[in-house]
Parts: sequence; C-alpha cells; structure tokens
Amino acid sequence: MKRKLTRRDFLQIATGATVITGFAPKLRRIILEPFVQPPEEVLPGEATWYASTCRQCRAGCGIVVRVVNGRAKKIEGNPLHPLNQGKLCARGQAGLQVLYNPDRIKNAVSQTGGRGSRHFEPLYWPDALDILFNKITSLSNPERLAFLGGMMPDHLYRLVVQFLDSLGAPPPVIFDLHSALEGRATALNLSQRFFGVPEFPVYDLSRSEVIFSFGANFLETWMSPVNLSRAYGEMRQGQFGGRGLLVQFEPRLSATAASADEWIPTPPGTEGFVALAIGRIIVEERLGHVGSHRPHAVLYQDVDVREMAAASEVSVEQLRRLARIFADADQAVAIPGGYLTSQKNGSASMLAVQALNLLVAQFGRLGGVFLSQPGPTNALRQTPVSGTQAEGAFSYQPIIDLVDRMERGQVDLLLIHGANPVFELPDATGFSEAIKRVPFVISFNSFVDETAVWSDLILPDHTYLEAWGYQVPAPGANRPLVSGQQPVVQPLYDTKSTADIILTLASRLGGEAAAALPWSDEVAYLQASAGELQGSSLSAYDARTRSGFWALWRQHGGWWSDREVPREPELTEIVTKPLPIVQPQFDGDQENYPFHLYPYSSILLSDGRGANLPWLQETPHPMTTARWETWVELNAETAASLGVADNDVVRVISPYGELEAPVVVYPGIRPDVVAMPVGQGHKDYGRFAQDRGSNPIKLIAPLEEPESGALAWGATRVRLEPTEGRKVLARLENLEGEGRESLR
Amino acid sequence: MTESSLEMQSQSKRSLRWLAFIAMLVIIGVIAGVLITRMQVLAAPEQPIAYSHRVHVEAGLQCLYCHSNALRSDVAGIPSVQLCLGCHGVIATDDPVVQEVAGYWERQEPIPWVRVNVQPDFVYFSHQAHLGTGINCETCHGPVGEMETARPAVRMDMGWCLDCHLQQPEEHVARLADCLACHK
Repeated sequence: MKRKLTRRDFLQIATGATVITGFAPKLRRIILEPFVQPPEEVLPGEATWYASTCRQCRAGCGIVVRVVNGRAKKIEGNPLHPLNQGKLCARGQAGLQVLYNPDRIKNAVSQTGGRGSRHFEPLYWPDALDILFNKITSLSNPERLAFLGGMMPDHLYRLVVQFLDSLGAPPPVIFDLHSALEGRATALNLSQRFFGVPEFPVYDLSRSEVIFSFGANFLETWMSPVNLSRAYGEMRQGQFGGRGLLVQFEPRLSATAASADEWIPTPPGTEGFVALAIGRIIVEERLGHVGSHRPHAVLYQDVDVREMAAASEVSVEQLRRLARIFADADQAVAIPGGYLTSQKNGSASMLAVQALNLLVAQFGRLGGVFLSQPGPTNALRQTPVSGTQAEGAFSYQPIIDLVDRMERGQVDLLLIHGANPVFELPDATGFSEAIKRVPFVISFNSFVDETAVWSDLILPDHTYLEAWGYQVPAPGANRPLVSGQQPVVQPLYDTKSTADIILTLASRLGGEAAAALPWSDEVAYLQASAGELQGSSLSAYDARTRSGFWALWRQHGGWWSDREVPREPELTEIVTKPLPIVQPQFDGDQENYPFHLYPYSSILLSDGRGANLPWLQETPHPMTTARWETWVELNAETAASLGVADNDVVRVISPYGELEAPVVVYPGIRPDVVAMPVGQGHKDYGRFAQDRGSNPIKLIAPLEEPESGALAWGATRVRLEPTEGRKVLARLENLEGEGRESLR
Repeated sequence: MTESSLEMQSQSKRSLRWLAFIAMLVIIGVIAGVLITRMQVLAAPEQPIAYSHRVHVEAGLQCLYCHSNALRSDVAGIPSVQLCLGCHGVIATDDPVVQEVAGYWERQEPIPWVRVNVQPDFVYFSHQAHLGTGINCETCHGPVGEMETARPAVRMDMGWCLDCHLQQPEEHVARLADCLACHK
C-alpha cells in the first residue's frame, strides 16, 4: 500500500513537530565534578607532563605523559631520554589502554569457585595480606616457595631477590615469551663467551656504513626498537657522506628486511653458515684494510665455503661480493639477531656472526660494537645480590626446572608477577598441568590472563602509569642510564603496589627479612636507590640535597650521564679457537612435516601482551595489513601447490598439535617456511583478546638450545592441510573481517 | 458558474482557513518555544547543594578564593570538596546544607555541580587571557554576589562576545575579531 504525502499532511506534521519542539526545549545539562582532594601541581584544564618509563617491552624507553585534570591523555617519548630521544613506538602509545582497560581487576579477589572457575569475589586487602603472610609463615621449608616473574621492573626484581634470599627461598624464575623471541638468553650467553660478561652489546648503528643483520628485526621488536630505528634513520641519512647499506638475512621478509637494500632469504638455521663463509673469504682473500688477518685464520680453518654456500643457498659469487662489501666498508657491523637463537644451533650461529665484527676490528670502534658503561648505575641493575641469575636469565631451563619441582609436589606456594606461561609456553612443557599440583597460587597480575585463572588469589599490582619504579635499560644506550618510573595519575582502582606488599610482608616477618628490606615503603626504597647516584661527576644534573635530587630525578624521568661514555669490550680466548660448525636440527621429519614453522613476534601485539589493547588490534600489520586475527603466511608457490588462496583456512599440524587459520599469500617468504604472528589465541585476558585467532606457540616443540638453554622456538616442522573453510581477514583495505564489532 | 467550480471555490476557502490556522499555530509554537528556551537558558539550574553565592560574597570572600584557577588557566575551576571543608570544618558546622557538603567529604565523593555558564565545544575561551587584561568577573558573569543561586547573567553568544571585542583599541580589533581567535 502506498499513500501519497499530501500538502495537508506535510503541514500538519510540520506544525505538530514545531509545537512539540517549542514546548520541550532541550538544554545541555553538564555536570562538573570537582576533585575531592585536588592533586598537587594540577591546574584544571591545563596539561601537566610527567616523565616516566614505558613498560610495554623490556627496552625501557623514557616517556612523558600528558595529564589533564588528573587524567592521562597522551603518551609521547621523553625528548631528554638518551635511549629513545623523544620517539615512541605504537605499543608505547597504546599504554593508555592498559590504564583505562575495562577488563582490569579493580581490587583484590579470591577465586571462590575454585581454581579455573573464573568466579572471583572481592577480598578485603588486609585479609588478603593476612592470607599471604600466613601462607609464607606456614611453609614447612622456604625451599617450597617459588616466585615466577615476567617483565618485572628492575626495582621490584631487586626487592624480590633480596626478599627470597632473606627467607632462604630459591631465587625468582624469570620467563617471558618476548625475551625468548628476541633471543635474550642466547645473546647474554654469546657476550659471556665472547667478552666474558653477560651483558647485551650495544651496536652503534647510527655511525655504521654497512650493516649485516642476521635475523635481527631491529625496526620492529628486537631489543630496543625505538633506539635502533632512530639510529637506522641516522645511518641512512649518511653522516659519513653516503647512505648506509643494510643487508638482512632471514627466511621471511620482515618490515626490517623490507627496509633493507638487500634481503637474502636463507634456509632456517643456516644464517651462521653465511657468516662463516663471508669470514673465511675475508681471511682467505685478505680483504679489507685493518691489517693482517693471520691471527684470525684459525677461526675459519674448518670452514669450507662451497659447503656453506650449498647449505645456505647463497652462491659463492654472492658470498664473495658480500664479503667485499663488508670488509671494504670503513664502518661495518654484523648483528646476531633473535631469529638465529630460535634454532638448535643458535649459539654457533651467533658466534659466527659476532666473529665478523672481529675481522673488521669493530669492537669499541665508532659504528661497531660496544658494551654499555654502567657508571654508578651498577648497583641498580637486575643482578644485585648474587651472580646466580646472570647466565640463566631469560632462558628456558629455569622454568623447566620449576615445572619439574611443581610436578613433583615440591612447591607449596607459587607467587606470579607479570608472567603468563600457560599462554607463552608450548603445551608440551606441561606447565598448565604442573600448576594444578601447587596447593596455593597467588598472582599479582592486573588482568585475568590464562595463568591468573589458575590462581587462588589475585592481588593486582598498579598498571605502570600508576606505579613507581625504575629500569636500567639493557641493552643500554651509549652512556650510563637509569629510566625512572613514577605515577602519572592516582591509581584508578583499589590496587596495591607489589613492592609495597613485599616490604610490608618483610617488616611483619621480622628477623632477616626485615633487616634485608628496611624501607618503610616503595618510595623510600626508590629514594634510597636513586640517592646512590647523587654526586656523580657524570650526572646530567645534580642537587645539593637528597630531596632536591629526587625532585630532579622525577622531572627528568630518571638519571643519565650528560655525555657519551663508551666502553670497549675485552675479548676472551674464544677468539683463538676454530669456530664451531653446527648443523641445524628440527623436530618433525621432513617427509611428514615439510615446512618450517616461523612464529614471529608481532610489532603490535608483541608476544601477546598487547592483545587486550584495541588500538593495537586495529592497527594494520605493516607487511600484510591484516589485523584482529592470526594468519598463516605462505609463499605463492606453496599456496598454489596446496590449492589455497588468500583467506582460505588451512590446518597447520606439528607433531605437538594443530590449529586452523586463514592464509595470507605473501611473496616475501621462502616456499619451505610458514610464518605466523604470535599474540592471538588467548582464552582469557579480557574482551578484546580472548577467543580470537590462535596461538602458534602451542605448536612448537619444547626444544632447548644446548649451549644457552634458550627455547629453540623456530626448530619445529609442520605440515599444512587445506580445509573447506574461509575466513575473510580484516585488513586496512577492506571493510570485511571480524574483530571490529567488539569496539562498537 | 457550474456546480463543480462552486464546490472547488468553497473547498479552497476551507483549505485557506486551515492554512491560516496552521500558520498561526506554527508561529505561536515557535514564539513560545523561543521564549521558554530563553527563559530556561537564563534560569538558575538546580544544584545538588543549595549553595548561596550571596552569603559567601557578603562574608567577604573573593571570587578567586574558590575559583582560583581563573588567573592561571583557561577554566576558572570549581573548588574541591577539600576547599569547602577547609572553612566548613569549623564554620557553620550545624547548618544542614553544610552537613550535606561534609557528607560528600566523608564519602570522598565529588559534588556533582551543574554547570551554569556553558560554551559550545567549538568555542575556545580562556579565563586567564581575559583576567589578564584587567576585566572583572562581574563584567561577564553579572552580579553573582547578589544571586542566591548562580544563574547566567547574559546570553553568552557570539554577538555578545564581538560587542566587546570590536570596542577594543583599533590596533587590537583585527586580531580580536578574527574567526580563529575563538574558533581554533
């Protein structure tokens, strides 16, 4: 039925509407809520900037946060900070969504429905602390207490170490997937073997002329990406009269490889062979201009260039060309990166790459390799008490030992801060089963993640924008440096600083614990720590009084030297022995599992800790433009042989599990490699993260690199099976795909 | 004239009458709407606390004692509950209205005041700049010290702003009348 709107109808409706509008004027009613207690320094409507430290990865960049009316509005890089010099990455910018995340735990809770029930009830803080106190005092033996830490700030790590030491408990176990993916354990091990100190080298990229990067995606997630991206920019702008050259060796075209002049897709595990061959050619043909290569000949006595060329699929001519480029440059540097450490021959590959820097005498030279000078910051570093942690730090072995202890019922109380091993470890590790055997588990997480679900109590720590602390960046900058962290806003919810909880516990326990941790609260402890730097002749600022120094510390966002203080590494005797040639080994036979699985750390979600931040979920991945999902990157050749195209779902099967994910046909990957971004596949961790995508870590074999004890996360083979399914990925260039509906 | 044309004539007369009636209604409606809106715009909004500006000004308080940010910030600011209690912890503590305020303090809740003078979001206005040139609060806000409940003294629309901006010394007028002075 159609009715025409007559003029009369129109006038009637118009009149009616006008009269009704006229009699019911809509006025804006705005509520102004003043502060109950105004914070100091706050002027309503005017922005205040607080300097602090980013805690989205381990790099420890300085940030300044714009705060208006007591609310954090924007995070930027701290222009004074020597590491990131005013720059900040996407993950750092998204830190606001950690603070304002709707899925934060707002107070202490106990899981009343039993562990794993996800039924939480609020707990009165004094009662929560009583439970913790009683659990610790009722331990039959302090050995039965275990502390598992993830990305803890340095001050808290130091407190925990001292606390556990005073109780006679084993030192904390540290594991986080991000560090595993960037190869921290193996990098420390390499420095220990090469320089005799377990410290991360600082690669002076900004003054290099030629950079050979072996699997270091330093523009994305490796080590200190903001600092290195900046240095890369300077290298490209040619301080030495020309545009620097970057060559990237890795099986998949990362964003770093895409920025490189040349990408050489080597088969997984053979990057070290390329370095060995280049080294051998330099020595043999006496390339370069740094004098005699005779002392180095012994390093390469076992290396056969033809064998290496065959294994790495880089021709001898090409190797010779690369050797010339490297040796002829005034400043050349080779970076042993994170992907190398993912293989079972990781240490040997790293050693081979670092040896290239020796050939061109780049240790302690401009554009080469340095160690960071700790200056007076040494006391504030992560390894304050005993040397026990230094070598095992970030490696896989300690957490395997912990799983073993838990399985054998040797742990009665497990404390977890910032670690999520249920998500981050391969299932074959057995962590998820072992945690169920621990009688009592307390988590200090801000979110209910996969591991916190298995805890009895959650005593949420503040998020980093509400918290005190400091971080000694490692790898550091070109000078002694401590990044200071201070609250930029009042805590939004009834959360409690874990450092304060530990100090309270110590004073209640009395005895050795109270003597070891005599500070009244976290701030007193930090003031005492920062005070150790007062009066240093290197300082960028100084004050006559303790409180004056503390004020300047907070204004600057830490402490650093006003000038570069280089530190030349000293070489150990390893440089006089032939370099080992170790063949890569993989889990899964080639016939049944023809592809190498490459689970790479996402520039956005990192190891999965960013998955609950919708800004990062919505940001297109730089190489594929996909988002909100896990995808499988396949070479066009591989995709064609399987008969699949973009968005077709394939099943990825390893000897340890299987998952399904849509395909992205990606020309920048070797046909025998399958890459998947890590970060999705959460079962818990809030509305934006959970039940989205899949977790490739669940497919990998629980292999260990024998030298460093690191997790060999890239040594698993998989097979692919096409399915009938199809799942359109949300991409920058389309309006389809799932994910964005959760923002509405 | 045929019968049908007669009918048409009377019909058009009827519809004319209708039209006139409807037009009247529209005009009345619009006028009523405008008047009522104007009244409401200038009316004092209902506040959660029966706060009297008159009492406080007569007691000798300066505007800037409570709205202390006007000299330093874009916004004049609403005093914190703590500031209220600074005096009312000891003064007039038996007054029921003061006790209401104390209730907010005890619960550590902000008082949800209703904004009196409103500018739209697309207007940039700074108290600091205006006070800096020596303008008094009363110039724009009227005799607040005589009001029991605060209400807007004038309709703060663009014409009213320009009235004043255009009367400024000649060398300043171009800048003060620039669109971007307020619509940044």
